[in-house]
Amino acid sequence: MSGTEPEGRDEMQLLAGEYVLCVLDGAEMRAVDRQASADPALAQAIAGWERRLAPMLSAVPEVAAPDSLWARIAHSAALPDQSQTAAPAARPAATPWHQASQPAEAAWPRPVGAARVWPWKAATGVSLALAASLAGLVLLPTLAPRPPREPIAGGRDVAMVAVLTPPETPADTRPASAAQMANDTGTTRLAEPPSDGSDTARTGGRVAGFLIAGWPDGTVVLTAFAPVPLPPGKTLELWMQPPDGTAPRALGLFSATGRQVTLATLPPPATVLSLTVEPAGGSPTGAPTGPIAFTGTLRRTQR
Amino acid sequence: MRVCWESGLEQLDSAELGDAVRPRRNGATGGPAARDAGEVPLGALIVAVAGGDGRAFQRLYDLRSSRLYGIALRITRQPSLAADAVHDAYLELWRNAGRFDERRGDADVWLASLVRYRAVDMTRRLGREVSDEDVPEAVDEEPDALARMVASSESAALRGCLGTLEPDRRRVLALAFTDGLSHSELAARLRLPIGTIKSWIRRSLQSLRVCLEAET
Repeated sequence: MSGTEPEGRDEMQLLAGEYVLCVLDGAEMRAVDRQASADPALAQAIAGWERRLAPMLSAVPEVAAPDSLWARIAHSAALPDQSQTAAPAARPAATPWHQASQPAEAAWPRPVGAARVWPWKAATGVSLALAASLAGLVLLPTLAPRPPREPIAGGRDVAMVAVLTPPETPADTRPASAAQMANDTGTTRLAEPPSDGSDTARTGGRVAGFLIAGWPDGTVVLTAFAPVPLPPGKTLELWMQPPDGTAPRALGLFSATGRQVTLATLPPPATVLSLTVEPAGGSPTGAPTGPIAFTGTLRRTQR
Repeated sequence: MRVCWESGLEQLDSAELGDAVRPRRNGATGGPAARDAGEVPLGALIVAVAGGDGRAFQRLYDLRSSRLYGIALRITRQPSLAADAVHDAYLELWRNAGRFDERRGDADVWLASLVRYRAVDMTRRLGREVSDEDVPEAVDEEPDALARMVASSESAALRGCLGTLEPDRRRVLALAFTDGLSHSELAARLRLPIGTIKSWIRRSLQSLRVCLEAET
């Protein structure tokens, strides 16, 4: 090609271009980062590609951000304490990728506004009512598990499983009043609560719940034991609670019958997974806004 | 489609933003578009943000959050992740606005880079959804960089040079840049050997660079 140029410069330009395209894998991206922080020529090459390629982004349609997002950003930005503790922002100047990938961060990235209130515990009463509603209204026969849309890598066996069931109902929970709470807090009931909260986990012997199976390559299939009567405009969102107690992380949206997602890595065993009821499109805040409808713990299979 | 970069700019009344926002450092915006008459001095807003001006920060959000959220959503395909990426990008802007530097390109390029790298990183850590049944319609389109790119003076050169690439290779570039797909994800998506993808991209980059240098 351009034989007049030193080959090293071509190579640096190509590497910078690959970095800006984000085609390199995570380790390679970080390696380029480290290199760029010590090599102004590489940093400049990266900036050059960012500038050259940027017009391509005009092909991406604008989408209105969720209404709640500004409030969340303003909240995070306005709390100096939070900005120092929750966000490793006092990092050395580096490229954005580097800043987003500090090894100091948990393996699962925590939101910068990690001090957001964990809403699940506060919503216990609500979630119980919802779970009761869900469990009491299992209407249809159990569906056959939906096969994954793509072959499971290598045909390997399931590495981890979890059974998600409605949270246990304490004796003092009264569905009617709890359902009222659900309305008060702006959440949506899935259906009328059952008249008797004491036997809500079963209907005709079928337990309302989901089976989660995870393969070593990160494929996760979630299958409903029975369809969940989701109201229009609502979806189920799967969350994991990181073991370090930080804010829950969204793992994907699911219809009432389940489906497949692929994660970069499976969460570790003993991770608590939960499904919440969220507006279509997922939680507008990035944190669970609806109560827990189903919850369970990930377990390693015996192999 | 809307002219993303120009939308809404005319609504900015810099007088209401206070002294800190006045375009005292127009040059900081860098890019040619930002220097056009009537454009919002995004760079000046960023300078104000560096000085702790919350209203300038909010104005930057009002002006660019839809664009940045669109970019993040295209990459993450998950609204909650996209929101996280935009949140983190704006926080980074709030904290590191002082680092904005025209050597990194103009303000729009800088903002887009903040959100792109963050969205790609989050998506690769947390996984990309295999199914697209919940993906909003707006992001469920095959990218065609050439057809959809906004015609502007700064994109003309890139358009011309992209046009010299074979359509397949152009598509790979667009999928990488706008969708954030890695070599291996591209190979899986297009059912091509990863070696083919890598060499296509390298050759395309090389062609683009030679072509763009010839045009400028």
